[in-house]
Formats: sequence, structure tokens, C-alpha cells
Amino acid sequence: MGVSGALARLATRHAHLLVIEVPGHWLTRVAVERQAGVRGWRLAVSPADADILAVCGSPGPELALVVANLWEQLPGPRARIDVAAPELVAAALDQAEATLRDTPRQRRDSAGRDGPGRDEAPGGDAALAHGSEDRDGLEMDVLHVRLGPVLPDWPAGLVLRTHLHGDLIVEAQAGVVDVGQGGLAGGAPVVGGDTSGEARRPDAGELAAQRCDNVARLLALAGWSDAAGLARAIRDHLLIGERSAATTELARLRRRVRRSWLLRWSLRRVGLLPSDELARLGLAPNLTGDVWDRLNGMLDRATIAAGGPAGVAARGPAGVAAGGPTGVAAGVPVTPPAAVASVVSGWDVATARLIVASLDIAALGVVTDG
Amino acid sequence: MALVAVGVVAGCYLAHRALAIARRPLLVSPFQSGWRPEEHALSRYHVRWYLVTVLFLAFDVEMLFMYPWAVVVAELGATAVVEMFVFLAGVLVAVVWAWREGALRWV
Amino acid sequence: MAEVPAAVSGGWAPVAAGLLGTLAVAAALLDGALAGRAAGVRSGMGRSAGEVARLLRQRRRTTVAADRLLWRIGGAGLLVMALMIVTVVPLGRWTLFDLDVGVVWVNALDVLAWAFVWLTGWGANSAYALVGGYRFLAHGLAYELPLMFALVAPAVAASSLRVGEVAAAQQGLWFVVWMPVAFVVYCLGVVAIAVWGPFSPALGRDVAGGVTAELSGVDRLLFLAGRYALLAAGAAFAVPMFLGGGAGPLLPAWAWVLVKATVLLAGLVWLRRRVPALRPDVFMEVGWLVLLPAVLLQDLLVAVVVIGG
Repeated sequence: MGVSGALARLATRHAHLLVIEVPGHWLTRVAVERQAGVRGWRLAVSPADADILAVCGSPGPELALVVANLWEQLPGPRARIDVAAPELVAAALDQAEATLRDTPRQRRDSAGRDGPGRDEAPGGDAALAHGSEDRDGLEMDVLHVRLGPVLPDWPAGLVLRTHLHGDLIVEAQAGVVDVGQGGLAGGAPVVGGDTSGEARRPDAGELAAQRCDNVARLLALAGWSDAAGLARAIRDHLLIGERSAATTELARLRRRVRRSWLLRWSLRRVGLLPSDELARLGLAPNLTGDVWDRLNGMLDRATIAAGGPAGVAARGPAGVAAGGPTGVAAGVPVTPPAAVASVVSGWDVATARLIVASLDIAALGVVTDG
Repeated sequence: MALVAVGVVAGCYLAHRALAIARRPLLVSPFQSGWRPEEHALSRYHVRWYLVTVLFLAFDVEMLFMYPWAVVVAELGATAVVEMFVFLAGVLVAVVWAWREGALRWV
Repeated sequence: MAEVPAAVSGGWAPVAAGLLGTLAVAAALLDGALAGRAAGVRSGMGRSAGEVARLLRQRRRTTVAADRLLWRIGGAGLLVMALMIVTVVPLGRWTLFDLDVGVVWVNALDVLAWAFVWLTGWGANSAYALVGGYRFLAHGLAYELPLMFALVAPAVAASSLRVGEVAAAQQGLWFVVWMPVAFVVYCLGVVAIAVWGPFSPALGRDVAGGVTAELSGVDRLLFLAGRYALLAAGAAFAVPMFLGGGAGPLLPAWAWVLVKATVLLAGLVWLRRRVPALRPDVFMEVGWLVLLPAVLLQDLLVAVVVIGG
């Protein structure tokens, strides 16, 4: 017991979670992230990095398959939890902790996984990549890589099947996982807020929190983990109703972001979207400009929804000023997945991820025309 | 030190053997957002900055002259400095030309 | 104090390795504490210990059709590389390996990072890891030349490639004072070799951890430890090159070396929290059109001072 027991306790105190959000359960996901953070746990970026697989909401058949694949990819010790609602998070995390700490159980689990040989291994049937000419006329291989649904800081449920030349996305098709499942009839939008089965309008605090969540994702993808952490803290303040603390911190975050010339220089000129392009793709009109403009737009919208200083609206992009508190309450914009596929084509993976994060996705529409 | 380095690495592996919940590595399919990969990732990768690699090679070879030069420049005096930096200026002109041709941008 | 350090027997290698290990652990602890403070949790300092325990307990993985040999070489290589770098760093009066071309030795070793990081990305047969590996090479093309020319500046000033003589040549005036550009570029190079902070897109969240996407267990532990060790070795090598070696009042020379290395290392660790990542495509032009000419001007200045003086 001695050494391995102590090791298990120490290791479990610093567990890493891979969080999977079923579309419509973002509040549950946020609760998992927050409570994991309080315990000193960290969020994993890939299954190899994870001890706990946390599924937020009940997945449809397609996502269930994805979850099963991921479960096989966790190295072990491993624990899986299914969390249906925010109030169930604490108990689920306790349960995961107990499972991880149980060394004999983990040894049995791991011993039971030594099944297939090399040829029957999962994915052993993958093909070799085939060639195609790149834009310089050189023949190189094309990889077909799907981005999503499980990827750090990625919109819930979105799947982009990309054709990659190196890391350049030359073509992409978009879809939403399990469309038409879970009581959402075809044609109805997949609502990104926390529906828990019923469609309801998010209040202003929730809207602001979701903007902050999206800001945190964009900042994390830009490699600025500290600022992303601040944005997440603001999101959590907003969700538990600490408006005044949230608005103060939000103002601080806005200053920090605006003052970072390095961030500005890195996000400028990336993913430029003029208004006519936005209209053609069915994207919200307030997403004009480049990723930097859209990041500031998100921060402006968060500030307005959180009831920040009124002077902000005047400085924000035109669309925000018109959208004020009454405008945002009217509902969340729905992003067509095909538009996402369209705006990432021609960019490399890193910038494409920044562009997707900058679209401030609240809800994804259903794909109607393949 | 090479022995120590090998010892450290071997020690880590031994410690892992003793402490991990299973010794044998687990065979899994590579992560791809939860899907099975369609192709093997190892492939002829489009390195879109290959022009820069050529530029780099040219400069890197030049760099090799710099080390012996660094040791003797104080003895040889002004001529050595002039010669080296005229040469470097020539190579820098090539860099500026490559930049104007767009070789340093690929996205 | 002007004496050139003498080589000691190879039996001291474990001590040097232990000192490097201590520095690397200190860096990991500081990083954990800073991350914990930013996240508002108290357990920050314990994070590295917990992480080591977690990875020692975790099972290793291998992927379908992985290039396993190259993958493991890459994973363990960074740590080995860091240990080989410190062999030529003099600790006050002693050095492990008094090589007459010590500066070139370090340069040759730091280029190995290209191979090790890329192999770790290549070996896993995973698309995300592969993208990460190539990102590192793209960064390498931009940081490596400025780094090499930055290392030349102290060598020119000392008219020697022997690290001990470079340190001894800084009597009275540290090189960092009159070659600040070379020093800053060198520090950027160290950060880049350790795939740290602004140079971490090779390990980016956007590609699920990039090069590390498929690593678990002791394989991940060695790769992560290698990064901290490289950061520590880079900080230690800056001491004889730019920071006057063991020169300083009161304390013995070996203590000054450790103090300077620790302070610089803390600065490099802290840097990561302050700045976003530099994507290879935006950094390429900076490396070639700003850093490279700047550091060449620095070399010119140093050469002119040397022949004038």
C-alpha cells in the first residue's frame, strides 16, 4: 500500500479532466470547469493528457460513439463521469476522485485492455494519405482531419472535416454532431445555451457570461493563458450573480487586452470579414473586421450585457450600440455551420482556430443543404 | 555526463515500471477529436515555408565562418571586420530581396 | 578572480546534473505557483509534485503504426541535451569539460532541439502532433540564426570560444551591459528551444497539445522535464556568456553563478504569463528582418570595439 497509496493520493489531487459538452449544456460544462479548478484539477487538452472523461449532458448516438473512442484513448488510471446538470457536478467529481484513487481497480481495468494485437487495433485500418498538387504545383499528400466535436476551446457539437495541405485548410465541410436528436426537430436551431431539454431565453447575466466564455477561448487559443483565466473568472462571477465584481474585472480585462500590442499585432489582419460577406454567409452583422476587432466586439457586448458603464457603447462597433440590453434580450444569434466552414478555408489550422473562436458562437444552426 | 544523462532517463523508466498501474504501453488509435483517423498522419507534408529553408541554409553555412573569425578578428584588425561585414551585408540584401518576393510569408 | 576555470574529473558529472535538476525543479515550482496564483488556487506549488506522481502512475501509450524508436528518442532527447549543455558551463573555478570550442558545442547542441521536438511530433502518427512538430521547425528557421549570431558577440569580445575565457574577459564590465541586443536575442532563443511561452505554438491548445498530444506516463514526464531543464541550462549558460560568470562581491564565485542563473530563469518562467504566443507565420518576418539585422549590427559594434581597444 505505502508508496503506491501515497502516489495515488498525490496524483489524484492533481487530476486532469477532458470535458465534453453536449450542445445545450454549456452551464453544466462551466460548472465542471469551475469546480475542477477549485479542487486544483486542470483541464486536459487531449485524451492522452486526461484522467477523467467528463460528459456534460446526455450525448446522442453520434457523440456517444465519439465518447466511446475517447474513453479507449485515455491511458489510465481513468474515470468517466456523466453530469446531467450543474447541481450534480460536485458529487460526480467526488465519484471520479474515488475511482481514480482505487489502485487495485485501476490495475484490473488496465489489465483488461491488453486485448487486440497490432493488426486488429482500433484505427489499424487507416489508409495511407494520397497526393494532390499544392498551390505551387508540387505533389504532396492531403490529410482529411476532422476538427471537433472534442477539441480544447472548440464550439460544442461543431464538426469540421478539413482537407489539409500540411497545416493549410484548403477545403472544409461543416456539420453539427447528432443533429435532429435529443428532441430537436429538423430545422430548429440547436440552441447553445443551457436548455436542459427545454428552450428558454438566457438572461442578460448569462449572455454576458457566455461572451466571456468565448473571450476566454479566443485568448487561450492565442496562447495567453493568464488573460484567458481572468475571462473565465469573470464568467463565473457573472453566473453566480456577482455583477459588480464582474464589471470591475471586465474593465480590467478590456484594458489588458487593449494594451497588449503583441496580441493586437498577432490578431490583426487575420480573418477579415467585410459586411457583404457576413450578410452572404448569414453571420451577425456585428462581426465585421478582423479577429482583433471581433475580440473587442465580444468584450464590448459582454460589458453591455453585464450592465457596465454606458459610455462603452459609443466606442464599440456600430452593431453593438444598436444591440444594447434590449437587443440582446431578444435572443441569441444562430451561426450557420456552413459559414464557419467557409471562413476557415484558405487559412492554416492555428489562424482558423482563432477565426472560429472570434465568431462568438452562441448557437449553431442545423445544416440544411449538406 | 552522457552516462549520467542515460542513467537519468533509464532511472525514470525504471521508476515508472515500478509505480505505474500497468507496465506495457497501451495501443490506441491517434487522437482526432474523437473520430477514427481516415489516413495515417505520416505523409508527405506540405511545408509551405520551404523557401525560407533555402535561405536559412545559405546563411547557416555562412555562420560557420563566423566562429573561427571571432577568435582571430582582434589580431587581424580592421580588414577582417570590413571583409566579414561586407559579406554579411551582401547576404542581408538577399534576405531583403527574398522578403520582397514574399518568401517570408506563407499564410 | 580573473583565473580561467580548471576542468574537474568526470566523477563530478552527477553533481552538475543534480544542480541542473534543482534549477529545473525550481523553475517548475515557480511556474506552478504563478499558474496557481493566476487561477486563484492555493495548491500551486504542489502542482509539479502532483504532476510527477500522476505521470509516474499513468500508463504509457503507443499509437497505431507509430514510429516508436524515433518518438522515444525525441521525447527523452531534450533532457539529455540540457545535461550536455551544462557540461561546459563553469561553476566558478570549476568546469566539467574545458572545451576550447565550448560556444560551438552549445550551438551544436541547441540545434538538436529541432530534431527532438520534431521527432516527438512525427513519431506519434497523429495529425495534431505532426502539425505541432512542423510549427517548431518554422519557429526554428526564424530564431536560430539570430541566436547563433548572438552567441558570436561574446566570443568576439573575448577572442575565444572557450566558455571559461569568455567569462574571464568580463572583468569590470559584463557583456550584457554593452551587448544588450545579443543578450535579449539569446534569451529569446533559450525560450524558443524550451518551446516555452511565446514559442509554444508547437504545443498549442488549438492542436490538442501539438507535439505532446499523444504522450502519456513517463514519456510525457521526460518531455516536460526536458523543457524545464533546457530553460535552466539556457539560463545557466547565459551567466558565463553575458552576466560576468562568477564575478560579484562577498559570495564565492560558484554561488554567484547559481544566483544569476536562478534570477534569469525566474524571469524566463515569469515571461510566459505575460505574453501571448507568437505564431510562426507572424514571427518569421520579425526573426529575419528585425532580430537578424539587429544582432548583426551588435556583432559589428562589438568587432569595432575589439579592434579599436
